[in-house]
Amino acid sequence: MTFKLDLEGERHLVEIVRRRPHLVIRIDGREHEVNEPGSVDSGRHTLEIGGKPLRIARAHTAKSQIIRFGGRTIEVTLVDPRSEAVNSGASASQIRAPMPGSVVSIQKSVGDSVSRGETILTIESMKLQTALTAPRDGVIAEILRREGETFDKDEVVVRFEDVSGEGQ
Amino acid sequence: MTARALPFKKILIANRGEIAVRVIRTLNELGIASVAVHHRVEKRAKHVRLAFEAIELEGASPVAAHLDGPQIIKAALHCGADAIHPGYGFLSENAGFAQAVADAGITFIGPSADTISLMGDKISARNFAEERGVPVAPSVMPTDDLDAFAAAAEKIGFPLLIKAAAGGGGKGMSIVREASQLKEAARIAASEAQRYFNDGRVYAEVYVEKPRHIEVQVLGDGKGNAIHLMERECSVQRRFQKIIEEAPAANLPAALRDEICASAVRLAAAANYKNAGTVEYILGADGRFFFLEMNTRLQVEHPVTEMITGLDLVKAQIEIAADFGLPLTQDQVRANGHSIECRICAEDPDSNFMPETGSIDYLGVPEGPHLRFENALDSGQKVTTDFDPMLAKLVAHGADRDAAIANTIEALKDLEILGVKTNTDYLIRVVGHPAFVAGELHTGFIPQYAGDLATAKLTTEELDKALIAAALGFKEFRDIAFGLPEPHASIGYWRN
Repeated sequence: MTFKLDLEGERHLVEIVRRRPHLVIRIDGREHEVNEPGSVDSGRHTLEIGGKPLRIARAHTAKSQIIRFGGRTIEVTLVDPRSEAVNSGASASQIRAPMPGSVVSIQKSVGDSVSRGETILTIESMKLQTALTAPRDGVIAEILRREGETFDKDEVVVRFEDVSGEGQ
Repeated sequence: MTARALPFKKILIANRGEIAVRVIRTLNELGIASVAVHHRVEKRAKHVRLAFEAIELEGASPVAAHLDGPQIIKAALHCGADAIHPGYGFLSENAGFAQAVADAGITFIGPSADTISLMGDKISARNFAEERGVPVAPSVMPTDDLDAFAAAAEKIGFPLLIKAAAGGGGKGMSIVREASQLKEAARIAASEAQRYFNDGRVYAEVYVEKPRHIEVQVLGDGKGNAIHLMERECSVQRRFQKIIEEAPAANLPAALRDEICASAVRLAAAANYKNAGTVEYILGADGRFFFLEMNTRLQVEHPVTEMITGLDLVKAQIEIAADFGLPLTQDQVRANGHSIECRICAEDPDSNFMPETGSIDYLGVPEGPHLRFENALDSGQKVTTDFDPMLAKLVAHGADRDAAIANTIEALKDLEILGVKTNTDYLIRVVGHPAFVAGELHTGFIPQYAGDLATAKLTTEELDKALIAAALGFKEFRDIAFGLPEPHASIGYWRN
């Protein structure tokens, strides 16, 4: 049985190799022995991985697990294989607003070819200005907000033209 | 110690969040009833729950409600408050508000409106300081004539810093390195100043390279007596705003410290300053220091001073407002150990410290005898753009600076605000950075070490731990891994 997990935009395979006498799971080819934890509720608890204790803090959100240990906070989502096909490449074909805010200026136009990292528009939220940049090379298909217009967090503000056979 | 009873029975706190909670704590200790004010979106906020009494303010937005002076004074009169504590931000340095409070027969816990006006305008404050022998940076005063301004500014030499006369928080500020950029920079600064402060006046002053931000905590009784409670260093800043403050300043020669603190006391005494206040300086690598401004209120970072002096600054403010005078003499001020404050902000350090929103799905709070976690947070709380992104302050103490650093890092690791991105992990890297540990601080610290401070790629070991921990949290995974009998499990986990 294999699960696909998404961590910071990268997919990882977590495979259940054996369930007894101990749970053994394989991550990207590496095997680990894991004991069943007493609790996986939001909060602090200790897991046992490879016979070693790991103290973590955890929060369950609607769609992810947020895990914190050793001064690092990491969010992991479970990739639903049914939605995966539909959304394949979605993250790279559009730009979503990282924050609610408004458009200050637009540097590119529909039809422009842009390279990864080029600024497409400048937004302002909470008095801070930030550039929204192209996540990949491509051609702008649509800019959904004009200068001065507002948007909510996660709203799509720019769409790219589809690239057939795109791997990502 | 105080034999006399304070004349205040009830004090309204014209603020919210962690600072309102902080003030309530002292009011409880003094046996004074606290009154919280809040916008309807914060009906169940912590400061509202902790206060003796709460009054809802009307306003188009929560910030607008907290800036509505007449409404707040009306609330204070309505509930019979003797005094108003303004906290920091909002109306705390608004001379009109201080005057209106006094006119309503209520004690404003702060200096007089005149003192606020004097210190609130950077130019009048600077002139006042200069006349009292407090060093100020060579500068050019504002004028409507941009050409004349540019010509005069050029004479000081470059680099220059352009600032808004009415400004703060880095708005309307820019560094100019050559004559050709000067007029354009002044024009942009003036328009930004006009936008944020409704006052387009800008001035230019000598820009100190690699400057340190040193400030002195003072107390004045309003009768010309003032003392200092040592200095704080607030050099670690991003976007011109402090994120880490400490007391005392690291590697500051004793003679220089005495000179800086003495000049702050001179300024406060000359102004007949009444309240706790902060005199801010810029300190160059060459040991030259210049007056920046005076903040006529309690400072965000006041806890580090409390940690090393053992004093309660809110209590001192209240006693001074009650004309009890200064709580101690300069000789009685003793500093013990070292303290560091980290501002915990909802922001993403890896994308230029952009504010983040979300909800606090889990809140784990560090605990320890040498710690203060100043906050008004609740598990499940939404973090929105209604207010400043600062969520809380983590304040640690240690016998010396190294111990304070160790305690800070340990406490930051134990602080778990999950569900909204914060700068907590970033702060661990800043405080643990060799240059920070060595006390090599200046206001360009964050950009200088940006590469070292960026979030590192996870090691394979960390990656595997995170994925295992996360997998165990997903019911779909647990059902297969631990729950169902073998043949059933193999059917697949998406079968509902």
